[in-house]
Parts: sequence; structure tokens; C-alpha cells
Amino acid sequence: MLLLTLSRTFKSGFTHFRRNGWLSFAVISILSLTLLIISTLIVLSIAASLVIRSVQDKVDISVYFKGDVEESKIIEFRSTVLQYKEVKAADYITKDNALQEFKSKNSDNPLILQSIEAIGDNPLSASVNIKAITPDKYEIIATAIQNSSFRDNISRINYAKNKIVIERLNNILSTTRKVGIMLATIFSLIAVLITFNAVRITIYAHRQEIEIMRLVGASNHYIRMPFIFEGIIYGFISAVAVMLILFPLVKIATPYIAGAVSVKEVQDSFIHYLWLIFFIQIVTGIALGTFSSFIAIRRYLKA
Amino acid sequence: MIEFRNVKKIYTGGIHTVALDDISFIIQKEEFVSLVGHSGAGKSTLLKLLYAEEKPTSGGIFFNDEDISELTPKQLPFYRRRIGTVFQDFKLLPKKTLFENVAFALEVSDHSDKEIRELVPQILEIVGLAHKTDSYPREISGGEQQRVAIARALVHRPPLIIADEPTGNLDPISSWGIIQLLLKINKLGTTVLLATHNKDIVNRLKKRVITLDQGKIIRDHSKGRYAI
Repeated sequence: MLLLTLSRTFKSGFTHFRRNGWLSFAVISILSLTLLIISTLIVLSIAASLVIRSVQDKVDISVYFKGDVEESKIIEFRSTVLQYKEVKAADYITKDNALQEFKSKNSDNPLILQSIEAIGDNPLSASVNIKAITPDKYEIIATAIQNSSFRDNISRINYAKNKIVIERLNNILSTTRKVGIMLATIFSLIAVLITFNAVRITIYAHRQEIEIMRLVGASNHYIRMPFIFEGIIYGFISAVAVMLILFPLVKIATPYIAGAVSVKEVQDSFIHYLWLIFFIQIVTGIALGTFSSFIAIRRYLKA
Repeated sequence: MIEFRNVKKIYTGGIHTVALDDISFIIQKEEFVSLVGHSGAGKSTLLKLLYAEEKPTSGGIFFNDEDISELTPKQLPFYRRRIGTVFQDFKLLPKKTLFENVAFALEVSDHSDKEIRELVPQILEIVGLAHKTDSYPREISGGEQQRVAIARALVHRPPLIIADEPTGNLDPISSWGIIQLLLKINKLGTTVLLATHNKDIVNRLKKRVITLDQGKIIRDHSKGRYAI
């Protein structure tokens, strides 16, 4: 009995879908647009988080030591700093390493290399590069170091120099998140309303059929099912359509939005999230279609 | 079989309208009753109350001693399967063939495909359209469309048929054909309640006539005539 009802209502839903070609096309276009907006926002947030992570990796603070500080003291400092819960990594760069790096950085500038040779001695200080777990922790770390017992061994901390960059990054991060959430909410709301109205129109087109079904004694459940199935079909087709659009779109658009991050990285992570995005779309599409049908048909089912 | 007991129906939309005012009558099993009156006399409201499209403001409506105003939304579809309804505008689905239009009524009430294949041709035979099962409503005449609507109303084998102005859109010859069909159905044991303002038909029928005027029953004669 249940199976008979299910198969009949599914068939009837499919027939509605097929026979109302234009209306179905319109609803699918609108639903696809909705899903496209939502998934574009997802892709953008993935890209943004990649960009942010790569910038974050480049930010650090360096603590320079006075020339006469023993290496063991610096190593002790490093292990102390590593115990701070705000610190992700701390690298000890010896005087020799610093010189080598300096030389390789300026290998195309013979004047600088010559002057280094002329000094004879290594003018650079040993340092510890510190990375925080999040950019907003640098302030805390810098203050902690300045107040520690090591402060007499330290010649300078370049936090002040990086401070502006770090603060700006923090601002961008929080603004991006806020704007992203706001945009996603607004667009999703608009999209839901449009989809809902589109589905309402398809149900309006079937009002005569609904009236007759009621007259011949169809249960509300039986009347509702074809429209729910129709909603599911809309959702599914839209999700597939959006994936077909989104995939090439990401391929074309990444070189423009990637910026600091490598194109490959963005595309790889898109492919990595592909199934998740597809899953979200199928679920959103079907939920939207079903929910809209369910609400829209209610007014025709008054007892 | 049907009893209206002090039924009142007041519409309280924009204007306060008393559509039916203290209506009481009884229709026996296998009767053929015509309900006559001007437009706005309350005929359609009375029928709507009977097939439970509207609820009475006060009073009781009984179908086989069951008060239908107390039916739950779940019970309603089962009640409606015991009543066949026919309307002036036929209410056929234009995108379905005649067979599908009639089968539709059986599908929604969970009849098996086998039953549908057996019952639908039988019923189309009764209304004289066995040869047009695969036509669409637009391909047949108004009289034939009304026959299909009657076939659909009959296919559940309901004990009662309600016909609301079934001849309103038809020429006199087709109209009389439809009435004869209703008489035939009545002879086979189905109660028929016919709302009409076709004077000729009522006078030719020589059956019971209930006359409504401004929401009240002003006449109820067992071999009545159309007289307003």
C-alpha cells in the first residue's frame, strides 16, 4: 500500500516536472542561482583562508641577542619561549647562519658583499624567530619576553616594526569573516525567498488538480507527495547543474583571486572539498525544494 | 440517509452574510431530490456543507447518522470517497485522457492497477463513452465531458451523488441526456441530490423538489414543480 502510494506520487511528481517544462526550467534556474551563490561563498572562504594562512606563515617576530650572550643562554631562552601557550614555533638562528642567509640574500650585490668582507668580523646578531599560533598573540608574546629574566641579554625585538603589518592582518581577518558571514546570510535569505516563490507558482499552476484530488477523496498526504518529489527533483538537478558550472569557473577564476597563494594550492583544495560542496548543495537544494513545496501547498490543503 | 438539523451558515468575511438560515430536512436512501432556487439562494452552500468543503456555523449534518461537521481532517478523505460530486464546469484535468481522469479517482484511494483496469472501462461503458477512453477532454463535447465527470464521481460506487448545476453549461438536448444518466444511476440504487435552476428539467422529472430562497426552505414537495 505504502509502496503503491510512493510509486504513484513519485510518478505524478515526475510527470508534473516533465509536462511543465518552462516552469521547471525557471525553478531550476533560480534554485541553481541560489546554490551557485552559496557555493561561490564557500569557495571564496576556502580561498580566503588559504591566502590568510600563507600570509600568517610569513609573519613572525625576531628577538636579537647582544653579542656577548652565551649560546647556552639563547638555547635556554628558546625552550622557555616554546613553553608559552601562544607560541607555535621558535627557531634559533646563530650568528653564522644569519651571515650566510644575509650573504645569499644579497648575492647579486657585490658592494654589500665586499663591505662584509672588509669588516672581517661577523656584524650580525644571533636571534630567535618566533611564530605565534594566531597573529593577535604577538603582542602578548613580545610583552612577556620584555618582562622576562632574559631582557638584559636581548638587544632588540623587532615586534614594533612588524606591529603595523600584524595589526592590519588582524583587522583584515576579522573584517573578512564578518563581511563573509553577512553576505552569506543575506544572499541565502534572498535566494530562499525567490525559490520559495518559484515553487509556489508551480503549485498554483496545479491548483485545479489539487482541488479535484480533494474532491475525489485523496488524503492530504497523497496530494502533498508529488509536490515534495518535484521539489526533490528540482534540488537534485540544480545541484548537479551548479557543479557543472562551478568546476570550470574555479579553474578559470583562481589565477585572478589566488594572489599570494599558488593557483595549484587553491585548485587542489577545491578538489579536496569537491564532494563536501556537492553534498552541501544536494542537501541544500533538496531541503529548499522540499521545504518550499511543503509550505506552499499548505494553503491548498485546508480541511 | 442525509439529515440537516437546524443548520445555519454565516459567512463572516468582509460582509456578514447569512447563507443558510435554520435549514432542516431529511433525504431517504435512493431518493432523487432536486434543489432549486435563484442564484445566491444558498444551493451551493448547502452542497458544500454536505461534501464538507465548509463547516456549518451551527446545527448538525448527518450522513448515515454520523455528524460530518465533527470529522477530523484525517477522516475527511474517506468520507468524500462515499460521495460523488459533479459540477457545472466538469473539473476534468485537461492533460489527462478520459481513462486517466476517471482512473485518477481510484488511484488516490489506493486501488490496485488491476482494479483500475477493470473498473474504469466498466464505468465509461455505463456513461456511454467506452469508445473514447483515449481522447482528451478538449476533443469531446461539453455533454460528453460531463459524462466523464459523472463516471469519475461514480467510480467509487458511492451511495450518494451530488450534482451542482451539472447542466449549466450544456444545450437542452445534452442536458436532458445528463439528467437521464442521473436517473439511471438513481435506479441502480444511488441517492442523487441535484441542484439546478433549469425549470424544464425539474418539471419533467416529477421528483421531490426542495426550494430555497434567501437561505430558507420555502417549499418541499414530493412530486414538485419549479415554482419561484
